[in-house]
Amino acid sequence: MFRKLHKNSETIEIWFEGSSLDVEEGQTVAAALLSEGYLFFRNSKISGQPRAPYCMMGVCYECMLEIDGQSSQQSCLIPVREGMNIRRQN
Amino acid sequence: MIEKQADVVVIGGGIIGISLAYGLSKQNAKVLLIDKEDPLLTASRGNFGLVWVQSKGEGMPEYVEWCIEAADKWPQFSENLETETGIQLEYAKNGGLEIWLGDEEYNTRVNFIDKMRKQSRSGTYDCEMLKTKELQEMLPEIKLGEEVSGGSFCPHDGYVNPLNLVKAMHKGFKLSGGNYYSGQSVTNIEFLEPGFRIHTENNSYIAEKLVIAGGLVSKKLGKMVDIDVPVGPERGQVLVTERTKKILPFPATRIRQNFDGSFLFGNSNENVGYNIETTSEVMKKIAIRAIRTFPYLKNLQLIRSWSALRVLTPDRNPVYVESKTCPGAFAVTSHSGVSLASVHSSNLGEWIIEGSHQAKFEVFHPRRFDVPKTA
Amino acid sequence: MSPLEYDYTIIGAGPAGMAAAITARQHGLRVLILDEQHNAGGQIFRNIEGIEKNLNSEYRKLGDEYKSGWSLVKEFKKCGADYFSERSVWQIDKDLGIHHVSTNSKSFSSSIPSYIKTKNLLIAVGAMERPMPLPGWTLPGVMACTAVDALYKTSGLVPDKDVILAGSGPLLLLIACRLLDAGVHISALLDTNQRFAILKASPFLPQALRSFSYLKKGISMMQKIKNAGIPIYTGIKSIEALGKSKFEKVRFKNGTEFIELSAGMLLLHNGVVPNIQITRQLGCEHRWYELQRYWEPVADDWGNTSLDGVSIAGDCGKISGSSISELTGNLAALDTVYKIGAISKVKRNQFSQPHRKELSYHKAVRPFLDKLFQPGKSWLIPEKKETIVCRCEEVTVNDILQAISMGAQSPDRIKSLVRCGMGPCQARMCGLTVSEILADARNISPEEVGYLKIRSPIKPITLGKLAEID
Repeated sequence: MFRKLHKNSETIEIWFEGSSLDVEEGQTVAAALLSEGYLFFRNSKISGQPRAPYCMMGVCYECMLEIDGQSSQQSCLIPVREGMNIRRQN
Repeated sequence: MIEKQADVVVIGGGIIGISLAYGLSKQNAKVLLIDKEDPLLTASRGNFGLVWVQSKGEGMPEYVEWCIEAADKWPQFSENLETETGIQLEYAKNGGLEIWLGDEEYNTRVNFIDKMRKQSRSGTYDCEMLKTKELQEMLPEIKLGEEVSGGSFCPHDGYVNPLNLVKAMHKGFKLSGGNYYSGQSVTNIEFLEPGFRIHTENNSYIAEKLVIAGGLVSKKLGKMVDIDVPVGPERGQVLVTERTKKILPFPATRIRQNFDGSFLFGNSNENVGYNIETTSEVMKKIAIRAIRTFPYLKNLQLIRSWSALRVLTPDRNPVYVESKTCPGAFAVTSHSGVSLASVHSSNLGEWIIEGSHQAKFEVFHPRRFDVPKTA
Repeated sequence: MSPLEYDYTIIGAGPAGMAAAITARQHGLRVLILDEQHNAGGQIFRNIEGIEKNLNSEYRKLGDEYKSGWSLVKEFKKCGADYFSERSVWQIDKDLGIHHVSTNSKSFSSSIPSYIKTKNLLIAVGAMERPMPLPGWTLPGVMACTAVDALYKTSGLVPDKDVILAGSGPLLLLIACRLLDAGVHISALLDTNQRFAILKASPFLPQALRSFSYLKKGISMMQKIKNAGIPIYTGIKSIEALGKSKFEKVRFKNGTEFIELSAGMLLLHNGVVPNIQITRQLGCEHRWYELQRYWEPVADDWGNTSLDGVSIAGDCGKISGSSISELTGNLAALDTVYKIGAISKVKRNQFSQPHRKELSYHKAVRPFLDKLFQPGKSWLIPEKKETIVCRCEEVTVNDILQAISMGAQSPDRIKSLVRCGMGPCQARMCGLTVSEILADARNISPEEVGYLKIRSPIKPITLGKLAEID
């Protein structure tokens, strides 16, 4: 879905759904996951339809993920940190 | 301007009004329901959805019997309403649990239940005290906090989605031929001896009978037909969380989990007049109590809150009254609109139309609040 | 422990907030600024520090306007204001006590106190995308144009396949040009503006000529898009996003024929609107701006709202762009500096003169732009009634109309019947649409209909954090 315009500079390790990812520092969790090709972040609580980030600025709440054990965090606002453990919520 | 005519006009489209209107129209009365839709005064939108018996009616045994009758009728009432309208009420009657922190609360409750059992003439009031261990056994998926001293379990209790309930009754009312007029504010009521002409800003309605079910506005409306409806506001604030996995199978007055998985936390009892703001102090208190009860809840995200005004009479129990000087005009008020919906939509309608059950409702007359005159 | 007290607290570190902080600090006020993002800059200067450091090659491509933010951010960082980044404000009390929480509950900033008191408050939270509900807009792969712009600025990411842009407004053109510069293939631009919109806007053109640089920029952007050979469809109707579990193609009506185009992503933009979540929670008075169909807080020309001690600046007051945002930030700060007693009224007026002069230059183009890009009805109220309006609760136009047929006369009554606005986003994505639908059904103005009641928490807060507040 997305490509990077430059080479990865400093990378850190984060975990998404149990898989290890090397991502650039200084970007948000949502951006990091999109750059790694993950589009589906959650399922609608009403119909189960897959949802992906829409606004990237903390307005739409489609990017909510469980981060380091805490549910429903807006991943488009939170910068990645070494060792971060990210999961979808279902 | 065409004047609309009916057998009964009900003023007030909240849960009391719609329960009455729905019930009356199912009893084949031609009913008009008029409603102002005032955002400040919609108690029906700000309630916990409990169908409750456990804590009600201390000092008024007839009210306890009334609550139990309502609770007994609720399952059938719910099934009928769901079948008729296709709207899911999310009703369950598995009993209700109040959870107590510390010995003082526990002991206070023991005394309260004892009192309630003693005053129950029919002997049907059922509520038992549980110590922490037994309580925990009833809640295998969520751990109790350390301060929990026990609980009181009442098999009569249940819960429902109150918004769906109101929605379903509105639909049922329409299906039974009822007419609903919103945005109508009553300016004046004329007694036609017999019958009534109800004036709103741009319309008028004529009916043989009139029921005032306007919540906090009932006081003002009652005066127009010489009825005293002694109601006043008491604020309550509620917190709502994100949806999460279902772990709490029983409702309580301060904590319950909806069908969709979101948690509701209450309650507060505040005398702040006509104010429906939410405040951080009360929200914090509610949060603290919830966490003391179930520490697991501390990581749940709150996503919204609400605040509404309860409609309370001086003893918190219902008022049902027919005007003496304007017979045919009734006032109905109760802050247990949800719990009593099953009987408000049946027994009470019969009283209004035929005058039956009159003796039964005498105890709910507002004259019980009159200060006795000194000699 | 007594909470920290500030002279001036600013919510939002975009151009308005940063300018206000700098000005207030120049006059010695004790200033705090709170912002949700990791870096200062708001949306327009998003990640300007990060991009300069990490993505220098891209930084050079971003226009002069973006680069002008750089000196602003540098000055802001030096000005001596207390700056808490990654903080979300979840409630503001009537006495201006501010409750805030870290955006990341496990971050290292949890030791920062979560409640502060302030004498004066500036809300500079900026704008958000106007919701553009259409069938299929909840599909993964459909995003707001500004979202893709943000990804570019914060991470140097661009769509790897072709994209289709749909909507209208200056930002749509700007982002189209940015994507072109980044080598993204734009396979079509669907212009939802009415045909001949420019004729309708022409009465405002003479005034707009005063800020000719804006017009020049607009013309050059349109030229660039044309020169790139991007197919542009104008005056189109009824866009639908189609796909099984993600976006695959778009279907729209061009004249009388239906056209289907496949693409990797669909990017939507129908203008921006003030973010009024905080001003609503506080209880500020709002008024309806008919031309651009949004609510804005009622404010005087210093940004003072209907509440004492509360002012607004920047796009959360009226959509006007970054230059005006900086200027209104300066003016709001000057007025506060005067109110606090640090300068006289005469000095305030004197200092504000150059800002007001520049403001009138930038403002001249607004009526023209607002008229030119007036949102059309079919983009405010979806024509297909199965379209989802409330994304969180999946409430459709039909559901809302049903509630109205049940007699609902207010947005809150509709909410109680069909749940729109009850989800985590608390009506940010559906509030305007709900009011538009109700106003249309009742044949009155959205101003009369009103907006959903907005309460705290403005942003989610855990029960545990709530239990710990001061």
